Amino acid sequence: MTTAVATKKAILDNAGYAYDFYHMLYFNRDARKAFSVEFVDDHDPEELEKRVQEPSDATGWQFYFNNPAVPESVRRKLESALA
Amino acid sequence: MATQTIEDRLRAEYFSLLPELVRVRERLEAEIRYHLLPITQELVRYERILISARVKGCISAIDRLRRDMEFRTFAEEVPEKYSLLDLHDLAGVRVSVFPQSRLDKVHDLLTAHFREWIPDPFPYEATGDFRAYKYHGHSEASKVVVAEFQVVPIVIGLFWEVEHDALYKPLPELKGIGDDLEMRDRSAQVLRALRAFEDEFEKLVTRGNAAGPKLSN
Repeated sequence: MTTAVATKKAILDNAGYAYDFYHMLYFNRDARKAFSVEFVDDHDPEELEKRVQEPSDATGWQFYFNNPAVPESVRRKLESALA
Repeated sequence: MATQTIEDRLRAEYFSLLPELVRVRERLEAEIRYHLLPITQELVRYERILISARVKGCISAIDRLRRDMEFRTFAEEVPEKYSLLDLHDLAGVRVSVFPQSRLDKVHDLLTAHFREWIPDPFPYEATGDFRAYKYHGHSEASKVVVAEFQVVPIVIGLFWEVEHDALYKPLPELKGIGDDLEMRDRSAQVLRALRAFEDEFEKLVTRGNAAGPKLSN
């Protein structure tokens, strides 16, 4: 495993993220945040750490995708699946 | 009346395409076998070329379309956006080759015939340091179905078959497991081990062939 990948893995593990293989994202129910595999791949460990640490939006789940335009039906399905 | 889901629509599309998929698979397999005859007829006993053809299953095809999107969830707002015809591997042929020196010859012969087909390189995570090739294009059997052929080292081809049949075939959704950071690392270890195995095997066969009685075909 490269250093960057190992660092990302440690950031997600230490913050209590689990891997959802169906949606291929890392999620944390307490923080109500989820990161797609693509987002994790394409951002450096520092950026990932910043996103993991930033305060959660109290109103619902926060999804970190490379494509930020999450359709409403997709958001609903993901929130329901991760609840 | 019950609403048709996107998955329902894709299932209907799959079964309307199925006869064409079978024709594409048969045509592509026959062409590849024919064009490889100059090599397959002259293999020595330790050399192998396995040609396998398949049509992707319905559940697997729909799941593949879903996994190709970052959200892994079909958006109900745009049902017309989804079509199985966007997949490049609904029908395909895999040519698994040993040793690697034969692999390039197989690749050269097939690309000389399928000149219009588009290279679609494997990601490094899939094949590691092995040379492996993938192309997609239209066979003469269909103007709408995009087909694929692969030329891969035999150890990789057989590893993928084991992985697919043992792990993913019962439940294609499990394929997402392979994209976990830790699993990618485990897969990389397997690829390195397979590469070392094949390199050593080929080295010993080549040396033994030079020193001892020639292995005939």
